[in-house]
Amino acid sequence: MTPKPNNRKTSEKTTAIEIRGLGKVFHTDLGTKVRALQNIDLTVHSGEFLTILGATGCGKSTFLNLIAGLDAPDEGSIRLSDGLQFGENIGYVFQHYTLFPWRTVVKNVGFAQQMRGVSKRARKRKTSELLSRVGLAGFENAYPHELSGGMRQRAAIAQALAMKPKLLLMDEPFGAVDDATRGDLQNMITELWQENDMTIVFVTHNIDEAILLGSRILVLSERPGRIAGEFEIDLSRPRDRMNSEFTDIFMEIRRSLSGQLD
Amino acid sequence: MSKEELKTSKPRNYSKLIRWIAGPVILLIIWQAAAYYYNQPWIFPSVTKVLSQLAHPLRQHYASGSLLSNTLISLLRVVIGFCLAAVVGVTIGIVMGSVSFIRDIIEPVLELLRPLCPIAWLPFAIVVFKLRTLPQLFGIDYSHTIFDQVQLGMIFVIFVGGFFPVLTNTLDGVAGVRRNYLLLAKTLGASPRQIFFHVYLPAAMPMILTGLRQGLGLCWFVIIAAEMMTGGDSGIGYLLMYASDNSAMDIVIAAMLIIGAVGALLAFFMRRVMNTFISWKPKEI
Ligand SMILES: Nc1ncnc2c1ncn2[C@@H]1O[C@H](COP(=O)(O)OP(=O)(O)OP(=O)(O)O)[C@@H](O)[C@H]1O
Ligand SMILES: [Mg+2]
Repeated sequence: MTPKPNNRKTSEKTTAIEIRGLGKVFHTDLGTKVRALQNIDLTVHSGEFLTILGATGCGKSTFLNLIAGLDAPDEGSIRLSDGLQFGENIGYVFQHYTLFPWRTVVKNVGFAQQMRGVSKRARKRKTSELLSRVGLAGFENAYPHELSGGMRQRAAIAQALAMKPKLLLMDEPFGAVDDATRGDLQNMITELWQENDMTIVFVTHNIDEAILLGSRILVLSERPGRIAGEFEIDLSRPRDRMNSEFTDIFMEIRRSLSGQLD
Repeated sequence: MSKEELKTSKPRNYSKLIRWIAGPVILLIIWQAAAYYYNQPWIFPSVTKVLSQLAHPLRQHYASGSLLSNTLISLLRVVIGFCLAAVVGVTIGIVMGSVSFIRDIIEPVLELLRPLCPIAWLPFAIVVFKLRTLPQLFGIDYSHTIFDQVQLGMIFVIFVGGFFPVLTNTLDGVAGVRRNYLLLAKTLGASPRQIFFHVYLPAAMPMILTGLRQGLGLCWFVIIAAEMMTGGDSGIGYLLMYASDNSAMDIVIAAMLIIGAVGALLAFFMRRVMNTFISWKPKEI
């Protein structure tokens, strides 16, 4: 792996997503209102790895759903750059139910291409390439319930990558795996980001993970989610948790959150 | 499975087999003894007399055909009516389950018709379809095959019997499809048509198959009852009724045993189909 600059295209930052005054209010069945997001202004740059850090229930999933267009904002606007199109080149690794349980791994990964009418042979070539890239070679014909949590996330990432996303949304993708697996997956996603020309918006509630992965960190406040802080991370990759700069940033974020995260 | 388990599983299966057989054998012995004691074969035939009927399934009984031919006629009627119910029930179920507007329109009508016993449709069906048969539907008056015994009225009643379980289960299956899977499919670029075939259909498949199993079982109930009604002229239910009118209790009981066995076979067959179709675990993930 040739080390690449941390923030690509920093010189000519082009805008991928422009978010202005974004707000979202949910109406519950009981008639009460839940304000999930409030007054969010954010510009996501093409090619950056943005991590969003926030306590549980602060509206992180809601935020990603709004960007993906799966939900409509109540206030403000989201503007995607011209090249970005939902269903075309926006990948989304969901927080839950990331794979179709009735499809084998290879058929899950080939789903996007199958929907586009790509021939079986071309599909097979592409999926086996992706599967070996994410370390799932040999598990082509396994069903999701036969995989470990970490392997499922690998498959889900391959499924999203199969559509050649320009923008990849990831919602706490490594939340439910053990530490060692988590480390492997973090390395993998960093490499994939470096290899491919894509913007990643990655949601987590883990400070360490946010620093390890992000070229920029956005901290959301507790509900209603507002932008509580923003950190540019200029550490070179691969990053070292024991590095004093790393721990300094960690402490700084920790302080800014003070008690928001568990 | 480890070698250890393989070794011990065999004898356990043998003892299970013996226990399984024990019940029926005891029943047969009591039956045979009772028949011998009462000695009134026109009311209570012996095991041996019934078995001898079962041993000659091709024997013609009066003008009504043999045990085998009538069983095949009933089965053919059920298969045709059931297939119709399956196709229509699954299609309407998926459309209703995924489009709430259509569901709101159709559901009240269905709820009104559902409690109606399928057999209650028979007089209506016979009036509407007269005694038209399947070949006549295609302009062939008399095909000289078993299909001449497949009356449209019978098919209709079986259809009604199978339709509701298939529909209800499909509907529940489709309504229970997690929204997340629909979102995932949309994200990956699936069109509404593709979502129908690649999400709704497979996700609801376990419930659909449950509905088909229930539906087929009910169809087999319905055909026997329908054939026993006045106006029938063939089928195992008809032969059962006819033999009873002629005090041939050995044929009556032989027919009953066949009806039970065929029903069990159909259930077994459907369970096998289910297991081969659903290799994933619906409740997980
Ligand atoms: N469809 C909905 N209807 C009503 N309330 C909702 C809905 N979706 C989310 N909410 C509420 O909005 C708030 C934010 O939810 P969201 O799922 O975005 O949080 P999150 O940050 O992703 O949390 P977690 O870390 O637990 O995944 C929560 O209080 C939640 O109860
Ligand atoms: Mg969430």
